Amino acid sequence: MAGLLVLGANQVALGDMLFVLVSFIILALAVKHFAWGPITKMMDARSEKITGDLDYADQERARAKKLAQEREDALKNSRAEAVGIVNKAKESGETQKKSILTEAHGEAEEVRQRAKSDADKAKQDAMAGAQKDIANLSLEIASKVISKELNADDQKSLIDSYIKELTVNETK
Amino acid sequence: MDDKYKFIDFLGLRFNVANDLSVLISAILVFILVFALSRKITMRPGKAQNVLEWMIDFTNSIVKSAMPDGSGRRFNLYAFVLFLFIFVSNQLGLIFQVKVGGFTYVKSPTTNPLITMGLATISLLLSHYYAVKKFGFGGYLSNYARPVKFLLPINLLEEFTNFLTLSLRLYGNIFAGEVLLALIGTVAKSVGAVTFVAAIPLAMVWQGFSVFIGAIQAYVFTTLSMVYISRKLEQE
Repeated sequence: MAGLLVLGANQVALGDMLFVLVSFIILALAVKHFAWGPITKMMDARSEKITGDLDYADQERARAKKLAQEREDALKNSRAEAVGIVNKAKESGETQKKSILTEAHGEAEEVRQRAKSDADKAKQDAMAGAQKDIANLSLEIASKVISKELNADDQKSLIDSYIKELTVNETK
Repeated sequence: MDDKYKFIDFLGLRFNVANDLSVLISAILVFILVFALSRKITMRPGKAQNVLEWMIDFTNSIVKSAMPDGSGRRFNLYAFVLFLFIFVSNQLGLIFQVKVGGFTYVKSPTTNPLITMGLATISLLLSHYYAVKKFGFGGYLSNYARPVKFLLPINLLEEFTNFLTLSLRLYGNIFAGEVLLALIGTVAKSVGAVTFVAAIPLAMVWQGFSVFIGAIQAYVFTTLSMVYISRKLEQE
């Protein structure tokens, strides 16, 4: 063994150093070509992808947050809007109710007035008719009474009275 | 220990067959492991991909602890391959050793100082290369005289001690582990059935500890490599 390290001795296998150098370089090149290159490329690609995915996730999270905020705002708005709509509906219902009521009142009043005037007219008509009928009736009754109870003497005196009256009227 | 090795002389250089074969096997094992784990790479990782990504994250964290700013990213691949290679090398000799005709052919390659020196050379060459690239050659040289001029010899010496400690620490730990394992083996064979049975728990404990040491040393080697590189890349 010691002979291996004695310089100048013909025993020193310096070729081994050369051999290990060359084989190591060939091994390094082979490893680089078959394994190192592809796998470091993949590792770099993976780390890049992870970074990209993380960035993307951050972006998405921010976007989702924004959307949620927007939605919440919209919800709040819609609630207020709903309350407004209900209030407006109530109000308009109230006014409609009022207007319908007043209209109904007016109509009822009109109907009443018309009924009243109709009734008055009917009463007047009836009164007028009755007056006429009564007049006719009394006239008939009177004529019947007169025709029945007026005897000759009475007739004579009546005629006389008429004549008298006539003459009185003529003299005037 | 008293292992014998076959040597091949080629282009004026001497090659230790056991070391080179073991290095080759370790490298192939690392490649098979990584290749098998990286077959289905998807955005949503499966089991295999998770294991691979866990290992990558582990070595990346080593680099990041030495170079907290993003400048260490270019060393991620180096740290990953270095860690896996040293880890597998350390465990290789624990799992199997091949001896044919008295000659060792497969063992932990990191039990040889030349192999660990080779690995340390890669780390330190990288640190010098990137230092020159960052500060220019003049700036690189002037960094040896920082923070004060009289530290120049110490800084120069440090380069050599860095190299030696980095390589010999790994070598010493793994080599000692295998020596002790071999000693336990000789104890087992020394008397007969009694020592054989007695040596079994010892060998199990020491093997488990060696696995632990192998992992720790791979971690330490990678961490120190990154520390040396990062220290070359900053001005004090």
